Amino acid sequence: MKKIIYFILGFLFLFTQAVFAAKSSSKIYIRKLKNSHYQLIVEAKPYIVRGVSYNPIPIGKNYEYDWWQDPNKPWLLDGKLMQEMGINTVRFYQVGNNPESVKEVIRDLYQKFGIRTILGHWLGFWEYPCPLYGDKDFRERIKKEVLEMVNLYKDEPGILMWILGNENNYSFSGRVNPWSSEEIDKEPDPKLKRFLRAKIYYSFINELVKEIHKIDPKHPVALGNGELIGLEVAKDFCPDIDLVACIIYRGKTFGNLFNSLKTTFDKPILIAEFGADAYDAYLKKEDQNMQAFFLESQWRQIYQNLAKNKEGAGNCLGAVMFEWQDEWWKHNEYDPQGWSIHDTEAGWSNSSYYFDIKAPKNMNMNEEWFGIVAISEELENNLNKRLPRKAYYVIREFWKKPETKKEVKSK
Amino acid sequence: MTNTKTKALIFGICTLTLFCHLCLGIYYYTFAQDNEKLVALTKKIIEANTDKELFFNFEELKELYFQDNKYSEFIDILRSLTKEKKTLEPFINYYIALARYHQLKYLEKIQNWNEYFLNLDTYRQEILNFAQKTISSTASKDSLNLYAKLLLWRFYKDQEDFSSSEKMLSELINASLEYSKISSDKSALKLLADTLSSYGERTKAKNLYQLYVDGLLSSSVTEKDLKNFAFSFYEEKNLELAQVVYNNYIERIINIYPKEEVIRNLVEIAKLFAYKDKQENDPFYAESIFKKIEALAGKDIFDEELIYLRAYNLEKAKDYLLAKELYIDLINRFPSSRYADEAVFKVGIISAFILADIETAKNYFEKLAKKENLSPQVITSLYQLGLLNHWLGNIEEARTYYQHLIDKAGNAFPETLALAKERLKEIEESRPIEYNLKTFLDFSLKEKSPSFTISKIDLKAYSYRARKEENITITCTPYTIESGCLSVELQYLWSGDLGTLKSSPPEPTFNTSYTEVGTKEINLLVVSPSGILEKDLIFIEIE
Repeated sequence: MKKIIYFILGFLFLFTQAVFAAKSSSKIYIRKLKNSHYQLIVEAKPYIVRGVSYNPIPIGKNYEYDWWQDPNKPWLLDGKLMQEMGINTVRFYQVGNNPESVKEVIRDLYQKFGIRTILGHWLGFWEYPCPLYGDKDFRERIKKEVLEMVNLYKDEPGILMWILGNENNYSFSGRVNPWSSEEIDKEPDPKLKRFLRAKIYYSFINELVKEIHKIDPKHPVALGNGELIGLEVAKDFCPDIDLVACIIYRGKTFGNLFNSLKTTFDKPILIAEFGADAYDAYLKKEDQNMQAFFLESQWRQIYQNLAKNKEGAGNCLGAVMFEWQDEWWKHNEYDPQGWSIHDTEAGWSNSSYYFDIKAPKNMNMNEEWFGIVAISEELENNLNKRLPRKAYYVIREFWKKPETKKEVKSK
Repeated sequence: MTNTKTKALIFGICTLTLFCHLCLGIYYYTFAQDNEKLVALTKKIIEANTDKELFFNFEELKELYFQDNKYSEFIDILRSLTKEKKTLEPFINYYIALARYHQLKYLEKIQNWNEYFLNLDTYRQEILNFAQKTISSTASKDSLNLYAKLLLWRFYKDQEDFSSSEKMLSELINASLEYSKISSDKSALKLLADTLSSYGERTKAKNLYQLYVDGLLSSSVTEKDLKNFAFSFYEEKNLELAQVVYNNYIERIINIYPKEEVIRNLVEIAKLFAYKDKQENDPFYAESIFKKIEALAGKDIFDEELIYLRAYNLEKAKDYLLAKELYIDLINRFPSSRYADEAVFKVGIISAFILADIETAKNYFEKLAKKENLSPQVITSLYQLGLLNHWLGNIEEARTYYQHLIDKAGNAFPETLALAKERLKEIEESRPIEYNLKTFLDFSLKEKSPSFTISKIDLKAYSYRARKEENITITCTPYTIESGCLSVELQYLWSGDLGTLKSSPPEPTFNTSYTEVGTKEINLLVVSPSGILEKDLIFIEIE
C-alpha cells in the first residue's frame, strides 16, 4: 500500500514539474493584432506588465551594496507585499556580481510570488570618462557582458524580457555623459553630430539584439530610451528591436506619447520607468497623496492604451513604476553619512509635477522619496521596516477594477 | 470699585451680545437672501419658456452654488428640479456634468484627497455620462449641445487624452459652424472661443471669434460700434478677439473713410498693441499694422515718434535687424530728435554684438563720442569704443577712450565710470577682460549671425523703462532639450550694465536697479556642458 502511495505521490510530483517546466519554458513574445494593437503573450495568454523597479538598498548603504547576497533576503519580504498589491513584474537595471545569488532572487520571486523579472544592462553608460559607443573595443566589451548576462539567465523561468540601456540617448545632445568619435569630431553641424551619435548607438543596439535573438529566441528584447528622443533614427538603424522601453516623467499623464510613438516608430511600448515622488519640496513635508494622485492618473492612461481599448493607441504593454522602496543614498552618493539620512533636498526640476513646483529654483523632484513603500530605521527581521504609502493602496484598488472611460458617442 | 467692575462687566456682556446678534442677523439675512434668490430662481427655471431664459437662470443658479464650491448641493437641487419638469432634463444633465468637473478640480486644488480618491471614479463617470446625455438629447442648433461638447473637450484635454480631445475638438468646431448658420444668438460662440483661447488653442479660437464677429457685422453695426467693440475686447485683455474685430473694422473703413482718417485710425491701433511695460501688447500684431500704414502711405508718413515706436516695438520682439534699419531711418530723417542718441547707440550695439560688424559699430559710437553735449549715450559710447579696442588688442586706443570717459563724465555717470575704471585696472594689471564679458565678446564678435534668431533662451526684463533706483527683474528661461532626470547644469554668464549688482549673479534671475539715466545694455551667454547654448542682449531705458 505504502509503495502505491509513494508511486502516486512521485508521479504527481513529476507530472507537476513537467507541466511547470513546459509552461515556464514556453516562449514569451509580442503579438500584433489585426487592428495593429500589440499584446505581450506569456504562457499563451495576454500579460499586462504591472511592474516596479526594485533596488532594496538598506538605510546606511549606497548603490555599491550587494543586496543580492543579503542573508536577510529582502526580496522575500518585498515579494509578499508586492504580490498582495498586484505587482507581477520587477525590473532590475543591472544584475549583481554573483550569478547564483541573482538566480536565487529571480527564482524566489517567481516561484513564491509569481513575479517575473525584467533584466537590464546599462551598456556602460556610467563608465568613466564616458561611454565610447564609437569605439570598437568598448562595444565589443559591452557586447560580451550583455551576452554573458543573457546566457546566464535566459533559462530562468522567471525571466520576462531584456532591456538594453536606460536613458543613454540623452547623451546624443552632448550635454549628458558626452561622448564622441573621430567621425563626430569632424562634423561641424551640431544637428548632424547628434544624428551621428544616434546612428552609432542605435546600430550598436541592433547588433546586440540580433545576437541576443540568436541565443535566446524565447524572450523579447527592449530598447531602453529616455522619452521618444532619437527614436526617429532608431527606426532606421534599430529595426530588430521587439519593443521600446521608455523612461517618462510627464506628471499627470503621458500626453501624446502612445500616438506619437505609433507615427515615429511603430513598435510596442513598455513604460519602463515612471512615477512621482512623495515629498512636497515647497511645503517641505512628506505628501503621500500627491504621489498617489499622479500614479493613479498615470496608470489610468496606461490602461487606456493597452490593446483592445478602442479609444487608446493599443501599443502599450504595461509599465514599471519607479520604484518599490525609497533609497536613502541617492542625494549624495559620495557622502556615507548622508546614506543614513532621508534627505529632503530636491535633485532636479520637473514642472509637470506642479504641486510643489514653487519650491526654490523650481527644484521639486526628490530622488530619495520615490518609493511605493517608505523604509524606516526600525528593523524587522534585520531589515528596514517597510511602510506602504498611500499609492500602494490606491494602485492596488485601481488594478482590481481598472476603470477606463466609456466611449462617447457624438451627435 | 466692585461696583465699577460689575458695571464694566455688564457693559461688556451687553456689547458682546449685541455683536453676536448683529453677526447672526447678518448671517440669517444673507442666508434668507440666498434662500429667497434660490426660490425665485427655481421658480423662474420652471416657468421659463425659451432655452435662452433657461440658460440664463441656470447660470445664475450655478453661480449661487459655485461661488461657495457647493457642488454636491447644487446637484441635489438640480435633481429635485427633474421631478418638476421633464423638459429641463438636458440642462440638468449638463449642469450635473459641469458641477462634477469643477468639483474634481476643486478637490485637487484644495488637496482634499480623501474625498478625491473616494469619489474619483464615480465623478468621472458622471461627467462622461451626463455630458453624453446632453449631447444625445440636443442638436447643433442648441447652445447646450456646444457647451456639453466643450465640457467633454476640456475634460479630455485636462487629462491630456489627446486622441479623444482632438476628436471632440473637431466635433465642437463642426457643431459651431452649423450653429453659426442656424442660430441668431452668437454669444455662445464667444464663450467657446474664450475657453479655447484660455487653453492655448489660438487658431481655433480666432476662427470662432470670426464667426462671432460675422454675426455682429451682419446686423446694423456702425464702424464706430465696431471700433468700440474692438477696444472693449482689448480692455477685457482678450487680444485675439480685439484683433479679429479690428481687422474687420480696418477692412470696412479702408473703403469708406478718407485716407488720412484711415491712417489716423491705423496709427491708433498700432500704438495700442505696440510693446509697453505692464500693459497688454502684441508687438507682432502692432508691426502688421505698421506695415499696413507703410503700404498705404509710404515711409514718409512716419514721424519721429512713430518711427521710434516701431523700432522700439521690433526691438522688444527681438527682431534686431529690422529694428536697426528703423533706428537708422530715424537718425537720418530726424538727426536732432530726442531719440537720436539712443538710436545711434542701439545701432552701434546691434552692429557689434548681433552682427559682429565691429567697424560699423565703431562708426556709430564715434558719432556719439564726438558730441559736445554730454548725453548718457555719449558716455556709454566712449566705454563701448574702449571695450571694442580693448578686445581687439588695441590697448593704447582703449586706454585713451576709457580715460577720455573718466575725464568727461566727472561724477555724473557713476555706473559707467566704474565699468571704465575696472577695464583700465585690467589693462594696468595686464589681466584679461573680466571672464563673463570676455566670453560674451569672444562669442559675439568672432561670429557673424546675419539671421539672428534666439530660440533656446528667452531673456526678459520687468520693466524695460524704469526710473532711477526702481527695482527691475531680469530673467532668462532656457528652452533646453529634454534630459529626463539627468539634470543639465547650465551656467549663466551675465555681463554689461548690471546696475547696482556688485558681481554677476550665477542664477537665471536677478533683481537690480540703476543710479544713472540712459540706455543700459545687459548681455547674457548661457553655457551648457557641451558649449555655448545661446546668447542674447536686452536694452533698458532709465529715465
